[in-house]
Amino acid sequence: MTLTESIEYLFTGLAVFGSGAFALGFHRAQKISDQGIRLNSRASHYGAYALLWFALPFIALASGAVLLHLQQIFTFPLGLALLLAFAAGLLGWFHAMRKISAGLRARAAVERVIAWALLAAASISVLTTIGIVGSIFFESVRFFHIVPLWDFITGTEWAPETAFIQSQGEARAGEGFAEPKFGAVPIFAGTFMITGIAMLVAVPIGVMSAVYMSEYAPRKVRAFAKPLLEILAGIPTVVYGFFAAVTMAPLVVKAAEFMGLGASFENALTPGIVMGIMIIPFISSLSDDVISAVPNSLREGALALGSTRAETIKKVVLPAALPGIVSAVLLGVSRAVGETMIVVMAAGLRPNLTWNPLEAMTTVTVRMVSSLVGDQAFDSPETLSAFALGLGLFVVTLVMNVIAAMVVRRFRQRYEL
Amino acid sequence: MNPEQEQRYQKRLKARRRADRRFRVFGILAIVIAILFLVVFFIDIIGKGHMAFVQANVEVDLHYNKKSSINYRLAVDKEYQKIVSRSVLRVIPKRMKDNPGLRGTSETAWVLATADVDQYLKGKVSRLQDREKEVVDRLRKEGRIKLKFNSGFFTRGDSKLPEAAGIWSALVGSLYVLLITLTCSVPVGVMTAIYLEEFAVDNWITRLIEVNINNLAAIPSILFGLLGLSIIIGVFGAPRSSALVGGVTLGLMMLPVIIISSRAALRAVPDSIREGATGVGASRWQVVQHHVLPLALPGIMTGTILSLAQAMGETAPLLIVGLMAYIPDSPNSVLEGATVLPAQIFTWFSDSQRAFAERTAAGILVLLVVLLTLNAGAIWLRRLTERRW
Amino acid sequence: MATVRSVLKRDGIKEENESVNRQESMKTKQILLSVIFGALLTVGDVSGQQRKQIRIVGSSTVYPFSSYVAEEFGETTDHRTPIVESTGSGGGHKLFYAGVGGRHPDITNSSRRMKLSELEKNGANGVEKIVEIKIGFDGIAICQNKDNEALSLTVEQLALAVAEKVPVDGKLVKNPYSKWNQIDPALPDRKIMVLGPPTTSGTRDAFHELVMHVGAENLGTYPKNAKGKVKYQNIRQDGVWVDSGENDNLIVQKLTKDPTAVGIFGYSFLEENSDRIEAARINEVLPNPESVSSGKYPVSRSLFFYVKMAHLGKVEGLEEFVDLFVSELMIGDEGILTTIGLIPLPEAERKRVRREWSDQVILTAFDLK
Repeated sequence: MTLTESIEYLFTGLAVFGSGAFALGFHRAQKISDQGIRLNSRASHYGAYALLWFALPFIALASGAVLLHLQQIFTFPLGLALLLAFAAGLLGWFHAMRKISAGLRARAAVERVIAWALLAAASISVLTTIGIVGSIFFESVRFFHIVPLWDFITGTEWAPETAFIQSQGEARAGEGFAEPKFGAVPIFAGTFMITGIAMLVAVPIGVMSAVYMSEYAPRKVRAFAKPLLEILAGIPTVVYGFFAAVTMAPLVVKAAEFMGLGASFENALTPGIVMGIMIIPFISSLSDDVISAVPNSLREGALALGSTRAETIKKVVLPAALPGIVSAVLLGVSRAVGETMIVVMAAGLRPNLTWNPLEAMTTVTVRMVSSLVGDQAFDSPETLSAFALGLGLFVVTLVMNVIAAMVVRRFRQRYEL
Repeated sequence: MNPEQEQRYQKRLKARRRADRRFRVFGILAIVIAILFLVVFFIDIIGKGHMAFVQANVEVDLHYNKKSSINYRLAVDKEYQKIVSRSVLRVIPKRMKDNPGLRGTSETAWVLATADVDQYLKGKVSRLQDREKEVVDRLRKEGRIKLKFNSGFFTRGDSKLPEAAGIWSALVGSLYVLLITLTCSVPVGVMTAIYLEEFAVDNWITRLIEVNINNLAAIPSILFGLLGLSIIIGVFGAPRSSALVGGVTLGLMMLPVIIISSRAALRAVPDSIREGATGVGASRWQVVQHHVLPLALPGIMTGTILSLAQAMGETAPLLIVGLMAYIPDSPNSVLEGATVLPAQIFTWFSDSQRAFAERTAAGILVLLVVLLTLNAGAIWLRRLTERRW
Repeated sequence: MATVRSVLKRDGIKEENESVNRQESMKTKQILLSVIFGALLTVGDVSGQQRKQIRIVGSSTVYPFSSYVAEEFGETTDHRTPIVESTGSGGGHKLFYAGVGGRHPDITNSSRRMKLSELEKNGANGVEKIVEIKIGFDGIAICQNKDNEALSLTVEQLALAVAEKVPVDGKLVKNPYSKWNQIDPALPDRKIMVLGPPTTSGTRDAFHELVMHVGAENLGTYPKNAKGKVKYQNIRQDGVWVDSGENDNLIVQKLTKDPTAVGIFGYSFLEENSDRIEAARINEVLPNPESVSSGKYPVSRSLFFYVKMAHLGKVEGLEEFVDLFVSELMIGDEGILTTIGLIPLPEAERKRVRREWSDQVILTAFDLK
């Protein structure tokens, strides 16, 4: 029996036996109630009680068996495991059937299980975070055994090529190699350069359109323009990447040539601009929310003192909304830093420490993708460097989010929202 | 106020009003720039991709005989060997084997032409030799070579021959992945939302979960790819490149989105409902099951559809877990190798054959249509079920 | 309040339904139970897993050829189209030697020969019988825009152009060359600008071995290390060499737009784009099928794939797939793979490959020494 088949059996068995268990438990309770004895809970609760006593041992055993099988830690006939799981479920069910009586507090028992199940579901998100941190962390530690942490953080040169060849095996060991260099500064510099360009595009346009939408725009314009901006947010990043690489890059190069500047096709400006456009709706909708949340009394006060609308906005509304806007910008930055497809398709692979946005630059995410799907061996330092870079990415975005959350909490407290 | 002061005052007032108008224009400008980009973007993609929806077809005689069963190139006359797509010719021996009645016959049929012919007809760069161009020109005059609607684009899987490449297997793969994503993220997400909104007491566990969800929502998608690679493939042993891996990875990624939107939907149900139900003796879970959840359901569904659209366009984490392999057949189960539409777009984008460029853009158009439909559906559902308390 | 009442009413209806269900469930229950037990009893077959689809991993250089054959195989037989994933040669070997069974790939492609250490890992994990199949050659072409005058380089000149440090008067100094004619006055007066494969690519590995290493040795002016081996150099990082990603198409586009640049990639891409770019002569030899397969063109390598014999008969169509791959239709002189840039083996060697496959000649450590 293959795994797929046994999983099919598992689910059909669960459905059929489970409904059987429910029906029988229900039936037993109904019988008691028919005798004129008042039940503690509704009959369906007794059904659910019986069902749970069947399903929980069954699921526990069966999923354990499937996991062990997938892991190949311990191989055994899957059919036998399935039968064992059924037996355990039936045993549990017998126990439940014996316990069903008018006095059994079935509703409380069932709801206790439900509450635990809800808590278990809620903890999955925590486990996901732990999983992410764990999966990055352990490989990073392996990497930092090879490359000292300090060299990684402060090194200005990223030249991993000999690491690749060294990992190819003993055949070429002993040849003279220059040491591989894993200095992450140029890679993070490229990331922040592209992010900076993106923010130069996204912040003015995003905030100004939010101001216009919430302070000036007639309802009709708002109803028309807001969904259009939302479309920008819905375009997949692989599509933005295509647009950046195929349409935008040649345009930028031509424009640079027109101004007498040399530009690489993988310049940082192209992905920066396109990423900025992607982030506009993100910043504008968050800013829109905070600007609308500024109490009207502030506006009315300023207007009553004779300021124009622009003055009211610039000197009263925006300063009041500033924390919210700042946190929107920070969240935008953390998105830009972690964005992958646009830079994979339109930015370069060359670690380059420069202030010139027309040169090719690489980013953290690009290096991660290229070393994880490239030609190298899985345990070479270069593959491991993807995890170290991922750790850096995780830390940067986490810091951004924490600061954003703190800023916005202060804003909420100020206006008691 | 003396006239001089008055004048100064008037001047300043004018300047202030000008600044006011200027500020407003900036606002309009910002929106116009964003919308202009959208327009340029759509025109560009449509311009690049629309031609892929028609494809060159040619009318030729196919010979089913002994020679062509050995060397399938001989199934058409020599003149056409470079014009008819190999995807047509190579299946001829098998067709003869499956259908012995064909042997010794000939038929005239419209079949796919090669990508070079197709690109030549569309006025793009083509590697056809001058001699072959003459043949194509002649056939076009005779009406035996035509651009026809490219139904193969929707019914075929990926191919190394640009003329035969289609998005079917990627669409099926996307469907499988999204199904897994939904079954992973919706129950868990809604249950988490119910726990946090209806059951949780304010203690450190609850606060931890809440902070964690907000952070999870902002973790870059590529890191979820690493999670999939080392936990779902590495620890749980799910098969690489399968819809299962991709779906679970995306499911975990969509979890915070679904939790946040479900919580908003649950919160929108007024407390009077809860109080009423509790008053007549319902337990906490009964209140949720019979009253709050049914009322919050439309909101939860809207959020789910929107997150589905987001998951459908996601590429980076799937790249890491191997959903970018060459997979022309559509998968039959979630454990088989699959590819998804955005990954297919990326594969074509990376291919060195130039005829794939227009297919990339066409694939993007299909993806955008699906996503816009999903989003419009969510908006429609929200309008339909909107309820004010 | 209205809602509460209506919900209460709904509950009442449910209760009626439930009592109806109760009677029905008694009858259906027995039928269902017997069906399920019947189904469970048939769960007897616990033999090894059979897979219906071949899984191939490995080199990105072999990937286009392998997926081409895979497609042909899927279209012309009743078997499913194999899944081909480009994981790189090293990654492919690692996935391949992980073990025998449904989870592990059947074939790995490689743009180099299997290493002895990799064969040992195979043996350690129970992958004992492997057949090596050589499918042809791949030339690494040094290309430029077609509008330029023809370029002719030696391996040494190429190494000097892209090395991080070069010997000048017996000492290693930072590469001072920014124009080709600074290396040799006979070369054109053009900026040196090389678009090459990134450090993660197997083509880069081959470039190191065949150009940087050989060039440094031939020059003889590089200092030697304690073991007497030439200490050859990294590729320069100052922007003259640009890592250009696995997207060779993009490199081709850049070459057409930037006439000064020189691009490095597999021969197959040259073939595909021969209308826009042309290859440089290396040591006076142009890359073409004859010069590569005869070994005259210096920058070329052999392509392989490895078959896990333990999966033969367990995975549907594996044998037929390899048969198709080594057939004249695919890797012959006029084979289909030559149209996408594979350089075929000489005829005698193709025959030997086919014979070794049909005789199932197992790869041994002796072969790799």
